[in-house]
Amino acid sequence: MKRTSGKKRLSWKEAYKINSKAFRLLWNRYPQMFLSRILCVIWDALTPYAGIYMSALIIEELSSGRNPEILTRLVLITLISAAVISLVSAFLIKWRDEKCAGMYFKVNQIFTKKLLDMDFASIDDVKTHEKLSTIKQNQNGGGWGLYRVIGNYESIISSVFTLIGGCSLTVTLFIRQVPESAGALTSLNNPLFIFAAVLAMFVIAYVSPALSNKAGSYYADRAGSHNLGNRLFGFYGWLGYRKDLATDVRIYRQDSFCAKFLNTKTGVFGSNGIFAKYARGPIGAYGAAAASVSVIFTGLVYVFVCLKAWAGAFGVGLITQYAASITKLSGGVSSLIGTAGDMKNNAAFLKLVFEFLEIPNTMRKGCLRVGGRACGDGAGGYEIEFKDVSFKYPGNDEYSLKNVNMKFRVGEKLAVVGQNGSGKTTFIKLLCRLYDPTEGAILLNGTDIREYDYLEYVKLFSVVFQDFKLFAFTLGQNVGARVAYDKAAAENCLRKAGFGERLDKMEDGTETYLYKDFSKKGVDVSGGEAQKIALARTLYKAAPFIVLDEPTAALDPIAEAEIYEDFNDIAGNRTAVYINHRLSSCRFCDDIAVFHKGRLVQRGSHEKLSADANGKYYELWNAQAQYYNS
Amino acid sequence: MQDKEKSPKPKYNMRQNSAYMISLAWRVKEKKVLVLSLLSAALSVAINLINLYVAPSILSAVENKVPISELIIIILCFTAALIICVAAAAYVGANTLFGRIQVRLSIIALLNKKASTTSYPNVGDEKFGKLCAKAGEATCSNSQATEAVWTTLTNLTQNALGFIIYLTLLSSLDPRMLLVIVATTLVGYFISKRLNEYEYRRREEVAEYETQMQYIDSAAENYEAAKDIRIFNIKPWLEELGDKAIKSYAAFHRRANGVYVWGRVSDLVLAFLRNGIAYAYLLNLALKNGLGASEFLLYFSAVGGFTSWVSGILGDLSTLHRQSLDISTVREYIEYPEPFKFEDGDAFEPDNTAEYEIKLVNVSFRYPESEKCVLENINLTLHPGEKLAVVGLNGAGKTTLVKLICGFYDPTEGQVLLNGKNIKEYNRRDYYKMFSAVFQDVSLLAATIAANVAQTEDGADMEKVKKCVAQAGLLDKVESLPEGFETNLNRTVYEDAVMLSGGETQRLMLARALYKDAPIIVLDEPTAALDPIAEAELYEKYNEMTSGKSSVYISHRLASTRFCDRIIFIEESRITEEGSHEDLLASGGRYAELFNVQSKYYREESCK
Repeated sequence: MKRTSGKKRLSWKEAYKINSKAFRLLWNRYPQMFLSRILCVIWDALTPYAGIYMSALIIEELSSGRNPEILTRLVLITLISAAVISLVSAFLIKWRDEKCAGMYFKVNQIFTKKLLDMDFASIDDVKTHEKLSTIKQNQNGGGWGLYRVIGNYESIISSVFTLIGGCSLTVTLFIRQVPESAGALTSLNNPLFIFAAVLAMFVIAYVSPALSNKAGSYYADRAGSHNLGNRLFGFYGWLGYRKDLATDVRIYRQDSFCAKFLNTKTGVFGSNGIFAKYARGPIGAYGAAAASVSVIFTGLVYVFVCLKAWAGAFGVGLITQYAASITKLSGGVSSLIGTAGDMKNNAAFLKLVFEFLEIPNTMRKGCLRVGGRACGDGAGGYEIEFKDVSFKYPGNDEYSLKNVNMKFRVGEKLAVVGQNGSGKTTFIKLLCRLYDPTEGAILLNGTDIREYDYLEYVKLFSVVFQDFKLFAFTLGQNVGARVAYDKAAAENCLRKAGFGERLDKMEDGTETYLYKDFSKKGVDVSGGEAQKIALARTLYKAAPFIVLDEPTAALDPIAEAEIYEDFNDIAGNRTAVYINHRLSSCRFCDDIAVFHKGRLVQRGSHEKLSADANGKYYELWNAQAQYYNS
Repeated sequence: MQDKEKSPKPKYNMRQNSAYMISLAWRVKEKKVLVLSLLSAALSVAINLINLYVAPSILSAVENKVPISELIIIILCFTAALIICVAAAAYVGANTLFGRIQVRLSIIALLNKKASTTSYPNVGDEKFGKLCAKAGEATCSNSQATEAVWTTLTNLTQNALGFIIYLTLLSSLDPRMLLVIVATTLVGYFISKRLNEYEYRRREEVAEYETQMQYIDSAAENYEAAKDIRIFNIKPWLEELGDKAIKSYAAFHRRANGVYVWGRVSDLVLAFLRNGIAYAYLLNLALKNGLGASEFLLYFSAVGGFTSWVSGILGDLSTLHRQSLDISTVREYIEYPEPFKFEDGDAFEPDNTAEYEIKLVNVSFRYPESEKCVLENINLTLHPGEKLAVVGLNGAGKTTLVKLICGFYDPTEGQVLLNGKNIKEYNRRDYYKMFSAVFQDVSLLAATIAANVAQTEDGADMEKVKKCVAQAGLLDKVESLPEGFETNLNRTVYEDAVMLSGGETQRLMLARALYKDAPIIVLDEPTAALDPIAEAELYEKYNEMTSGKSSVYISHRLASTRFCDRIIFIEESRITEEGSHEDLLASGGRYAELFNVQSKYYREESCK
């Protein structure tokens, strides 16, 4: 179980380093957010002492002089200072809440930005997906990870200021001496008591959070089963809500399958589950012990303070001041130690976060410009050549492509055919530089494509992938792949792609939102229509190379035939690469490349290839044609 | 943007919903939820009272110079009482979670059962869908109404208890003092509530920004979009819209905080007044009536405490009101009316030796919201043992026809008869036993291969599972896996799960259909991802495996279904042609025309 990454405890030093790193990451991005939160907690940590101090003075006066004038003045100061403190608080909170709005999304942006910048090879790697999904589960399940760093730093600073405030109100407890007349109680003046008090405070302040952390560790150490439980639950608790699966669910009575998972009480979170059992046993016991220890400390403080007061070292007012301050002070120590423990626990989760954020981009990115010519509507004279290219997917021992040599002729229409797994799509991925070849090289006008600036090179290609994706933004933005798109051009491309009829029915035209995920006003489009929009997007880009990877899968025969007929028109004078299972589509291409088991086995026109009765093409063609020639 | 939509009055009120939750906890045998909540409330009040008395009592002991031993005993007594209460409260606190989760789980189970068994037309019903989404949201986390209501009820009990005790305690004071406390608290509460509703009243605007930010995150995190994102350089586009959404969201919160701050300011003014009056009153008592310092401290703390009980009660009631709305939604969803007969219908158990005929008589069908009929006046008989193909262009109504045959919809007009009896009369769940169906979207369970074939985890007939997997041609693959039939599927749940390819998944679905061994096989274009050859092979495989059974095959690829006894061609809501493949070609109608379009490029004579 790799996901139980919380198990590996890091050392204090490592924990400190990784927390600081996380802090710097967030601080550099959102300094105002941190500053506002820090000022808020400092204010909150210090100001309660004003109240404690003032009420002690009032009590003292009440128990001794009872001078109405002094009392009135004290009360007024108390009231006004409380009001001023609240007023400052109100505006500090306003500032903080403004700066923190959307914080959850802002933190998440760190991850999405990484995904957008990552090499395709990394994003195509299942391990990357698993890392991110574990990070998210840790975040959503136990609140572990990057987001927790903010709260932890807040808590550390708050504790420190609570300590400072508490100390300044308690120093006098040790300075004020019990008068000699008090007899045996004068021994309370012994400086050893200061030492003992501090020691007791630290012991107890350490023991209490240590016990809490011990209780908490039952959860942290089992984050793995926690996560698996969450995932199972996330699956079976909501299966019935899947509209697309509703028919299948009913025919196979999957409701009973779900019910079994949901009605058990022994699931991870169930009332008879593993955590419930721990809660009845050690978690509950440690928690209770942790709470009691703090109370014992308060009791000891009262004894010491009251004895000194009883012996005459100070008046009753100060009893309340000292007791309250020391209780707060010990709370500060506890929270300091507790937070430190929490940061140490969180470090293991942060490590995973950084493993993800620091996935290296290893693709070589040169800086050559692609050429003086602007990427116009034409083929632009770009010539691409595969030279002895072989390719293995990372972590795979088998070659997906082996010794491929081929040259694209400018402006030609090339069909790439082959069975599933023959390497067709891999070939396209290499061509568009989603991957770099393992061996050999791809040349653009005689120069290795790795020498070119990546974005410049990619500008040469327009692709409709088999599993293309549209976004739930406006139609026009989808065609232009940008916010500020050229309206006339977008419309033109949509019409060329066969979307004209539907476009005319849309009230907002190219400003119509697609789907309802982003805007409620969005409209749904069918799979066939989506394919046409994707086609329009490739046309809009006007790149010299156009690649279509099975663009007709979701279309019915009539629409499919239309695309075939118009293909030459659509592609214009660009170099076009067309992948299709269906060999019938090859008939209108000048040139056909046949892939088999990662190798380029045949190349030529349909007439030439279908004449070779021993060739792969002949075999594929006949296998398909038999369904239509009876 | 104001929320103009007036939400309908909830079906159940606050009292009914609280009672519902309590009785639910009782029914699912989680009485501990109630016991622990009561205990927790009582302990909190106890701790509060001890803390209220500890300082004044000790103070008065010191003031009165009681003997040291007595002083120490007083301190020890308080400490001991506090330890007992605090420890008990911590222990109770650690244990409250699980029973509450269990109750929420039981609601989730009820909701999922409703969702996965409700009459199929409800699935597409907008009102039902909205209720479903809201009910789902109300149960999706610990902080949602169906679990958080326990915290609210606990707090309410605690605040009410505290209120009563403090009321008795303060009864010796001037009642006007109490009135001042209650009045300032009420005023403060309503001012804050009014101001804090700023966001609630504009929740649709906020939700819009949140949806936008979430969508952009999910788009960037969509691994399948990664290729498009790179080729079309989509990053700046996503980032621009993302930044815009976050900016709007932040701007909204700036405005909202500009309002909230006045709530805090009004609070501090009221606190100033209240405390000022309390100080004045108590000082007066102290100076005139000789109230001691410790009593002064006690009363002053009690005034503060009383304030927080009152504002606590008000806050809890408003929270409870909000949560009650959600609980009412959950109940309305569970009680949503069912147009189909289930347990109230005739029981039915299909028998594989019997012959079944399904007959559609003058069937027309229209989706509830739509004007246009999807199917009009269909008459069709599926004879026992017949292989029937349904073909037509996308959107012609093929899938709807199959859904009518399978009993997912009832016809708007006409009848569907099983051996002459209207299927409406049966328990619909029993009727579904008639079919081994594979639809366009298949529901793979996050479970083992064996469980996916048998659709159960316990009591699966492993011999039969093996036989079906072998028949479906998947045995080699399954046996090559280290865990064999116990291999888990679904990688988002099990990290050791295996990913089956499209073709393997289809074979698994075939094995599942074989295992169910129902009288009628239905195949609805199992997946668009299959290439035409693979699809044709799959259909023939089914044909082979299920000889003797009736079956219905659907495709827009005309070549796939040539082997069927009878092909019906659907166009514009009607069956326009019917017959064997050869008949239809010979008749030269639309079927023949479409077939020619699809086969054109394969025929040599059409060479350019």
